[in-house]
Amino acid sequence: MFLRAVAPLTLAWAAFAHAGPACGQASAPSAGTAPQSEVRAWLLRIHAAASRRNFQGTFVVSGGGGVASARISHFCEGPNQYERIESLDGKQRRVYRHNDVVHTVWPASQVAMIEQRGMLSSFPALLQAGDDGIGDWYDVRAEGSERVAGHDADVLAVRARDALRYGYRLWADRASGLLLRAEVIGEKGDVLETSAFSDVVIGVRPQPETVLQAMRRLDGYRVVRPILTPTRLESEGWVVRQIAPGFRQVSCVSRQIDPPGETSGAGASPPVIQSIYSDGLTYVSVFIEPFRPERHTKPVLAAVGATSTLTQRQGDWWITVIGDTPPATLKMFAAALERRKP
Amino acid sequence: MAMDAFDESAKERLSALADGELDGIEPGSACAAWARNAAVREDWHAWHLIGDVLRSEDLASDPGRDRQLCAAIRARLQQEPVVLAPGALAAPRRARWTVGAAVAAGCVLVVGTFAVLRPSDGTAPAVAVQGERAPVATVAAVEPSMAISASTVPPSPAANEAVVADVRLIRDAQLDRYLAAHKQFAGSSALGVPSAFLRSATVDTAPR
Repeated sequence: MFLRAVAPLTLAWAAFAHAGPACGQASAPSAGTAPQSEVRAWLLRIHAAASRRNFQGTFVVSGGGGVASARISHFCEGPNQYERIESLDGKQRRVYRHNDVVHTVWPASQVAMIEQRGMLSSFPALLQAGDDGIGDWYDVRAEGSERVAGHDADVLAVRARDALRYGYRLWADRASGLLLRAEVIGEKGDVLETSAFSDVVIGVRPQPETVLQAMRRLDGYRVVRPILTPTRLESEGWVVRQIAPGFRQVSCVSRQIDPPGETSGAGASPPVIQSIYSDGLTYVSVFIEPFRPERHTKPVLAAVGATSTLTQRQGDWWITVIGDTPPATLKMFAAALERRKP
Repeated sequence: MAMDAFDESAKERLSALADGELDGIEPGSACAAWARNAAVREDWHAWHLIGDVLRSEDLASDPGRDRQLCAAIRARLQQEPVVLAPGALAAPRRARWTVGAAVAAGCVLVVGTFAVLRPSDGTAPAVAVQGERAPVATVAAVEPSMAISASTVPPSPAANEAVVADVRLIRDAQLDRYLAAHKQFAGSSALGVPSAFLRSATVDTAPR
């Protein structure tokens, strides 16, 4: 399909060319901005579809000059979710997920990483409770309908109300609500990143056993388990004077950033604090660790695709901020950090 | 009227010009036909609009916008101190030639804009249509041969300070570990676990 033609988004656009304006007019878009409750309803529907439907397809992410695709199967049975993701580009890599347990295996190097990702289920609670504040920072409009990956989709334009976050354009399957395609839109209206199903079958027969079996088959693999210890910035001797508007802290952990077994120089490297902030749609990670001149050599401020990166020295500390936001937002986070403990 | 004089061969020449296949003195005559004849200009515009829409639906726009762009370019050219005509020409003829050349140059500038847009990615058109300043800057920045416009082009709007936009300049194994650690929290989005998770799991950032 078009996405297999790879690379420049122009190609994808060209493939859609004649589907364009005509479609928009045919299905009269409901004009005006959706009220906040409706915004939440849209997002909940997308969210519910992603959790409760069974689907199988090819997913393609392109942005910042790179393209990556994966074959995806998603099953649910009752409250349980199962996923199998097989990368189709680069090194062979498979990701299996059973609820919040995630296995990533690299067959070539016989390495498996097992993670417990508590975050995977905690956030939607905010959304359901209605105190997410998403409507304060984003404005959502229905933009008619288009066809994506063989399905009729409702198009939603999610515009950021300030310059601290990017906008989105979302294509949700009309029948199920499943998110078929998402674009991250920059300040100038440019598309920074596209993620989309190039083909997808919704409503497949769930086969959770295939996922569970693969997760049990780790013979011969070197198993790596990153350890994340919950912590608080305050108890680590840090305060954030002012969090960027609209963001709130959703998690804070202490962790090793180097893969286990890899020691750099003298012994194990000191743990890194990772504090995570979310505004409901996007999120930012702030990493703090002691400054080490042999390692922390170059300050960076970069925006590649939809992901921005900032690294800088702050006294005896080295700060790394990564987020799917404009670089200015990351600068705000870095500037707000203050060391309280000597 | 002059419209009838625009025969098939002239149309062919104009089409060749649009494709960048004219050389020698032919571009001049094709441009002259463009300058003389409103129907020719209409064809010229329609062809490019068709080409644009084929490339990207985002370029399907109100024709008035293109007119404004051309008018803005022409207005700028008029402020140009550059002498466009060779001095040897006779005075009365020169007057006419200057007007023709100005229009022709405007026309070439427009060609330049399209030529620049063609190979670029889908985001360029959005930049190029935001008012009169941006397109000129785009032409000058990418097409050095457009010396005519170079002197008056305002400095192209600098990207946010010194933000690096090339993945090759910043990606190293060490930074990738932070990126992988960041993506472990991909559930922190209202779009739901699979959506955000799929996106981050599809892109390989893991340090292995």
